[in-house]
Amino acid sequence: MNGDMADVRLVGVRKRFGGVVAVSDVSVDIARGTIFSLLGPSGCGKTTTLRLIAGFEQPDAGDVYIRGVRVTSTPPYRRDFSMVFQSYALFPHLTVAENVVFGLRMRRIARGERARSVDEALELVKLGALADRYPRQLSGGQQQRVALARAIVVKPAVLLLDEPLGALDKMLREEMQVELRSLQQRLGITAVFVTHDQEEALTLSDRVAVMRDGVIEQIGAPRDIYDRPRNAFVASFLGASNFVEGNIVAREAGVNVVETPAGRVTVRADRPIGERVRIAVRPERLRLDPIDGEGIPARIRDVLYRGPVTHFYMDSAAGPLIAYRQDARAGEWSIGDRVHCAWDADGAVVLDEAPAKRAASGEVTR
Amino acid sequence: MTGSSRAGAAIRGVATIVAFALIVFPILIVVVAAFSPNDYFQFPPPGFSLRWFAEFFGLENMRSAFALSVELALASATIATVLGTLAALFLARRRGAIGALLQSLFLAPLVFPTIILGVALLLLYKTIGMPVFAGLLLAHCVVGMPYGFRTVLASAQALDPALEEAGQSLGAGPLRTLFLVTLPLIWPGVLSGWLFAFIVSFGELNTALFLTGPGLTTLPIEIFSYLQFQGSQLVIAAASTVQIALIVILVAVIERVVGLARITRAR
Amino acid sequence: MTAKYGWFLLAPPLATVCVLFVVPVVYLFWVSLHAPSTSELYAASLTLHNYVDLLRDSFYLTIIGRTLGVAAVILGLCLVIGYPVAYFVAVLPPRRRMLALLLLLFPLMVSNVVRAYGWVALLERQGVVNTTLRDLRWIDAPLDLLYTPSAVVVALMTILLPYMVISIANTLAALDRRYEEAAQALGASPLRTFVHVTLPLSTPGIASGTLLVFLLTLSAYVTITLLGGPRSKLLVSMIYDSVTAFQWPRAAALAFVLLALALVFTALIVALLRPGRVQGTAR
Repeated sequence: MNGDMADVRLVGVRKRFGGVVAVSDVSVDIARGTIFSLLGPSGCGKTTTLRLIAGFEQPDAGDVYIRGVRVTSTPPYRRDFSMVFQSYALFPHLTVAENVVFGLRMRRIARGERARSVDEALELVKLGALADRYPRQLSGGQQQRVALARAIVVKPAVLLLDEPLGALDKMLREEMQVELRSLQQRLGITAVFVTHDQEEALTLSDRVAVMRDGVIEQIGAPRDIYDRPRNAFVASFLGASNFVEGNIVAREAGVNVVETPAGRVTVRADRPIGERVRIAVRPERLRLDPIDGEGIPARIRDVLYRGPVTHFYMDSAAGPLIAYRQDARAGEWSIGDRVHCAWDADGAVVLDEAPAKRAASGEVTR
Repeated sequence: MTGSSRAGAAIRGVATIVAFALIVFPILIVVVAAFSPNDYFQFPPPGFSLRWFAEFFGLENMRSAFALSVELALASATIATVLGTLAALFLARRRGAIGALLQSLFLAPLVFPTIILGVALLLLYKTIGMPVFAGLLLAHCVVGMPYGFRTVLASAQALDPALEEAGQSLGAGPLRTLFLVTLPLIWPGVLSGWLFAFIVSFGELNTALFLTGPGLTTLPIEIFSYLQFQGSQLVIAAASTVQIALIVILVAVIERVVGLARITRAR
Repeated sequence: MTAKYGWFLLAPPLATVCVLFVVPVVYLFWVSLHAPSTSELYAASLTLHNYVDLLRDSFYLTIIGRTLGVAAVILGLCLVIGYPVAYFVAVLPPRRRMLALLLLLFPLMVSNVVRAYGWVALLERQGVVNTTLRDLRWIDAPLDLLYTPSAVVVALMTILLPYMVISIANTLAALDRRYEEAAQALGASPLRTFVHVTLPLSTPGIASGTLLVFLLTLSAYVTITLLGGPRSKLLVSMIYDSVTAFQWPRAAALAFVLLALALVFTALIVALLRPGRVQGTAR
């Protein structure tokens, strides 16, 4: 994908605060009409990156482009974006309708058209009846919708969202995730949002950038990042993962065989024989076979029933292992049992142990 | 706070009664005396008369002192509040050593002995030849500015910084953000700062002591001169009561507008 | 807010404070280092004599001593009376506490000259106290209550008491009551809880109240003059007298002696009470 189709482009952006590097050499292209999320633990630089796109922070190096226009030195109020803040930031002294119309007033839209747009926006978020209320009279979920309406009514080139669902309880959050996604697709707005919740990122995004210590560890579609994490950090951040180390002993037809302290396992990769690698396997890909089947021998240490899924914690010569089984029948496996853990080559991935910088620089698009 | 002994509570109760009596009683005496029909003070008062108020408003120098005090307070409070607001807006989001230093500087006139400031300003004015009213006005601006600064700073810092950013994200430049977002939300702080600056100026003694001149005195200084040279006279009680009344009215009006909580918290 | 607009915000107030506060005070100090002159404001020659003569003159030393003595008594009284009152106010339910604070705030808004006049009316020969005592036939001739240092102490103490009460009350009210509960859970009686927990945690309020009262005592010219008369002059009266006598260098030197007293006292209080070590715990 070339830069022309990108609504937002960051090129080599760097930002430090005092002695701390918040964002280090980040380059990203975000295609029009997609939802892009910045995911990572606190302090990873995701919020700073968002604020750099908005213009609330100036980069020390690098450039920011919105719709092909270089906006690096343009102040926020002249960039074509709008934002939903974590605290919603609804103007307490204005009614819901006055809040929503604010951006239109700034853009000097004619009064009649303003009123129509406001009504439309409020209808979209299903708050038409509350136009004359004040923010303090609304619930958290309602305030969040007003913040959304206020941001989309101005039809921005890019919509930025800073942990927009963080303050909502679980049920409301899941409801809003669905609504947010459908709204975005209906309007075709390019959206960038920041979250620390990996489930949310995987649910909402077209593409995810996983960040750590100011650097993008991996960018890709949710499924790609989940199934094929680049390194141990990404693997463990996006859900649980098993890690197994060993040496490559065979290589054929796109599959490597790895000799681990507990036996041989397969992984879809093409590494040279003799290389020492670490592979990651998702717990749901682990098959538990009765003893004498293929795979790594292990002993069940703990069994945790979690409703639709049962977690099995095991010890093996290759290290601790976790397996998730759906529909595990009660008593199928119990503590102390000896099992064999196996997986298909496609269920495993070789991790990149190289330092993170390699992963971030030059990352264009897919 | 958790419960404590009965003895403790008794001590606190007694101390409070004694304290409030000592604090309020002298003021009460003055107000009561102002309405006395006689030439001297009597407690309990024998009757009710407004003669001393009539005399107060009849005396040229008392009248003009009162007028000057009001003009001075209005002008200096307004200027002081504007200056204090500007300073508070600048410092509201600033952290670091310079911010702390500036904050101490702007609050300094509050703790600095105003009597020394009065002497210093008089000396400066004499050296450069400053007219009396202007000199007084400027002095009261400096004295009043920390009050405006303090209350507006509290209001501005209590503001969610995201609100101003939200304004910017919607296209409002710095000036429009200031007028459409910031000021509407901090105006109670501005108003209560103005109130304090007015009251302080109206009752101010230590700089006025040095900076007033012949024909140009403030009411408190006029009262002081009277007390010193003409002894205790009930017209002074009337003058004092007028001052107290003005303050009561002002506080009541502002309280309606801004609320009790703001005024007491502002302190 | 972008940096360039910041300058427009900062410049006016900064200029005001510098020109009308810093400059005059520095100028005053400069003048204090000059010899006096009869024809001009001050002579051209630089000297330290203003300070040296002052500090060697027993007259001035007595005045300074009396000033500090008066201040000490006022402070003591304000603390002893003010702390219990502050505690009382701090434990009131929020609405009544606000009312109490307003009641305390109101006298501070009344000009000091009016409050001093109230005490004059109380203490003078035909004042309320004397008249009442004579009516009750407890005395025959009027007592000379006015124009003594005690009169100054009593009047100034009541004028400044609200500052002490408000300072301490605000600190006490902000204290987390769980500290006291923790102490009691560990077996401390109410008295010991107060002495070992509440009192130390209220040092910031005590410190600020003490500093405020001391500073205001030093500057309270009008009250001191009205209630002390010509025989109970304090340091601030000397400053005023020097100014009216056009002895500028002397007035300036006296002013900075006063300032020095204030600074030394502030340093003392901060060192003694160490309010800083509590500052992060009281919310």
